[in-house]
Amino acid sequence: MDNIAGTRARLVWAVNLAAAVLVILWVVPTIGLLVSSFRDRDQITASGWWRAAFPATISSFVRAGTAQDQFQENGLWVIEGNVLEPGQGLERWGTSSRAPEAYAPGETVDLKDGEVITVAPDGGYRLTAPQEFTNTRGMRIFITTTTPPRFTTDNYARVIGAEGLGRAFLNTMTVTIPATVIPILIAAFAAYALAWMQFPGRALLVAAVVGLLVVPLQLSLIPLLRFHNEIGLGKGYLGIWLAHTGFGLPLAIYLLRNYMVGLPKEIIESARVDGATEFQIFRRIILPLSFPALASFAIFQFLWVWNDLLVATVFLGNRPDQLVMTGVLRELLGSRGGDWEILAASAFVSIAVPLLVFFALQKYLVRGLLAGSVKGG
Amino acid sequence: MSKHLYLGVALAALTASGALAQDLKFAPGADARFNWASYEALQQMDLSGQTLTVLGPWLGPDKDLFESVIAYFEAATGANVVYSGSDSFEQQIVIDAEGGSPPDVAVFPQPGLAGDLAKKGRLVPLAEGTGDWIKANYAAGDSWAAYGNYMGPDGVAHQYAFPFKADVKSLVWYVPENFEDAGYEVPQTMEELKALTEQIVADGGTPWCIGLGSGGATGWPATDWVEDFMLRLNTPADYDAWVANTLKFDDPKVIAAIEDFGWFARNDAYVAGGAGAVATTDFRDSPKGLFTSPPQCYLHRQASFIPSFFPEGVVVGEDADFFYFPVYAEKDLGQPVLGAGTMFAKLTDNPAGDAFITFLESPIAHEVWMAQKGFVTPYKAVNTELYGDETLAKMGAILLDATTFRFDGSDLMPGAIGAGAFWTGMVDYAGGKPAADVGAQIQATWDTLQ
Repeated sequence: MDNIAGTRARLVWAVNLAAAVLVILWVVPTIGLLVSSFRDRDQITASGWWRAAFPATISSFVRAGTAQDQFQENGLWVIEGNVLEPGQGLERWGTSSRAPEAYAPGETVDLKDGEVITVAPDGGYRLTAPQEFTNTRGMRIFITTTTPPRFTTDNYARVIGAEGLGRAFLNTMTVTIPATVIPILIAAFAAYALAWMQFPGRALLVAAVVGLLVVPLQLSLIPLLRFHNEIGLGKGYLGIWLAHTGFGLPLAIYLLRNYMVGLPKEIIESARVDGATEFQIFRRIILPLSFPALASFAIFQFLWVWNDLLVATVFLGNRPDQLVMTGVLRELLGSRGGDWEILAASAFVSIAVPLLVFFALQKYLVRGLLAGSVKGG
Repeated sequence: MSKHLYLGVALAALTASGALAQDLKFAPGADARFNWASYEALQQMDLSGQTLTVLGPWLGPDKDLFESVIAYFEAATGANVVYSGSDSFEQQIVIDAEGGSPPDVAVFPQPGLAGDLAKKGRLVPLAEGTGDWIKANYAAGDSWAAYGNYMGPDGVAHQYAFPFKADVKSLVWYVPENFEDAGYEVPQTMEELKALTEQIVADGGTPWCIGLGSGGATGWPATDWVEDFMLRLNTPADYDAWVANTLKFDDPKVIAAIEDFGWFARNDAYVAGGAGAVATTDFRDSPKGLFTSPPQCYLHRQASFIPSFFPEGVVVGEDADFFYFPVYAEKDLGQPVLGAGTMFAKLTDNPAGDAFITFLESPIAHEVWMAQKGFVTPYKAVNTELYGDETLAKMGAILLDATTFRFDGSDLMPGAIGAGAFWTGMVDYAGGKPAADVGAQIQATWDTLQ
């Protein structure tokens, strides 16, 4: 007995460990994205996000003051300033890109034409010359510094402050809510009929729905848009609701039907015996019992429509007043998609609402994920 | 009911005044360097109440710049132009045109795609004489006009697209101060450029930053290199034949151009990160090596748009500059320039579309954008003093001085080559595959298309 119990305990440990490893593996990219969203563009290209929390040794250069900053002192022209930002420590410095680490802090170096420069350990520099400075662009001082970890919220400020984001948020809501509710309504009726009503060709219909599941939606973009234009629907909210409904229905019907088939036959039969009509059975018995499946599909559909860019740009258009959130965030990336830092921040901004929906419905999701997978019940 | 009416009127008034108050970047008549006569001529067209939709590839700052140009058209004619940008323009325009809800005007970054749509009958030919206008008024006008001249569905060639806004590709970027520190001179010939490359290596530095990475389009920066060498080793006629595939991809002339690129990119000592890093470095990140301390590289060959990927605070003209990608002194091929440009085409019969093309033919449309940034034009009638900075003026001069202008060849080739086999072939080449094999492989793909 002890032996068996020991094996079980070890098994539980193994399972927990495996689960933990999987969870960490899955969460790492998200953490990386989160860390990156708080770093600026140059940091992102300079080092990996996992090094964001440690002080870094960075080689860079700063520009000394220009002729405008000079003042006269004891017959010398002087430009003064500081090469360090708060928190940085100076390791080495130099005046040429050929030897950027030539001097230690505190050293004094002769440049051309009697100019002399010194950079103190605290970063203060002093550039002197016997004649007046005339440069409009400051000379480069190369510095090697230790820099403490630095994070910025600028990316979020840029995303949230983006022009038209509020409008786009409303547009997305206008698209998403009906595009989630309509397919559920239709699919619930259809699923009930396919699960519990007897009529010829039912099995064929179910097979057809399963067949539709594998049709890629990209295939139907152009024909559907042409159809919308021909019947005078054009580009607009009605069009995109219909498109999302159509694209979502096969999965919705399939999922709900499989769940409803699993409901206990006895309840439905006794309702029939008691004289309930089909609609009463559907409304009073099936709907309340199917709530987990409905909720889980609602989450799927909501997430999919919320994150969608393709269907929205095709059926809603690209005008500034028509853009959905994904469209506005994409615009922030620029014509050539170079602004990585915006990508990370906008991902977390756009994730906020779906997360709320998810947490509101998650207790149903866990149950609903099993929808249709277990027969009987 | 009446309340609604008032509200409607108030709203209409608000939007109308918004359109009027839309500030023009440069007040008409104020700065005498602009060609205001051409602006006043536009005012004869009255399009008040008409709407024109434009779809293009520009987003973000580029979009703002383009809209500042549109504002002059709106102010002069009273038309309302709705511009929308898309980063997947190439797909979007096909879906919209095929689906039956095209924009009135589309801005094509590639002539090849516009030619495809023209052949399918999705484009509307421009007004008679537009082609002649381009030939007469653009530097290297014949080439420019040809890039907008496509075969229609009826099998007759028409002028379908109007080139507006050019990019110069034959540029090498460098940091003047790094050159000063090391005592290097800007090379005037290709021989000098190669000598400089060897000199930098001898001094312990790395001469080039080359990055071919670009997501799904990885490899395209190398096609620009090869095109530039095609123009520097062979005649323009050979280049045209190559683009049309009458000069085959496995021809020794093409192989030589590929191998000249390899001279720079396949030598571990010549490229930052070694030759192995060429294919994997993102083209947007690769110029950053110019500005590090110590510099990872001294030279970067890329088109005129690349300063938008320089680190923050870099001032072009002071911290960074460029020179013309030089030609071989021993070959007498003039001063060829490789470039690209955007092509405006009409997709509907909306008369406002014609008016918009007329607007683009007026100097003011060019001058408003050139006085800001990121715009060069081959239009000879504009006042070149207006270029927003010296860098742009220098690029504009390269364009106007060009003895030969050739459009980016990969944009003209069929999509399966210019946006497919050529890209992947160059990635293979950078990875060590022999040039002859790469040429043969691309030619094999091309043969399957014919």
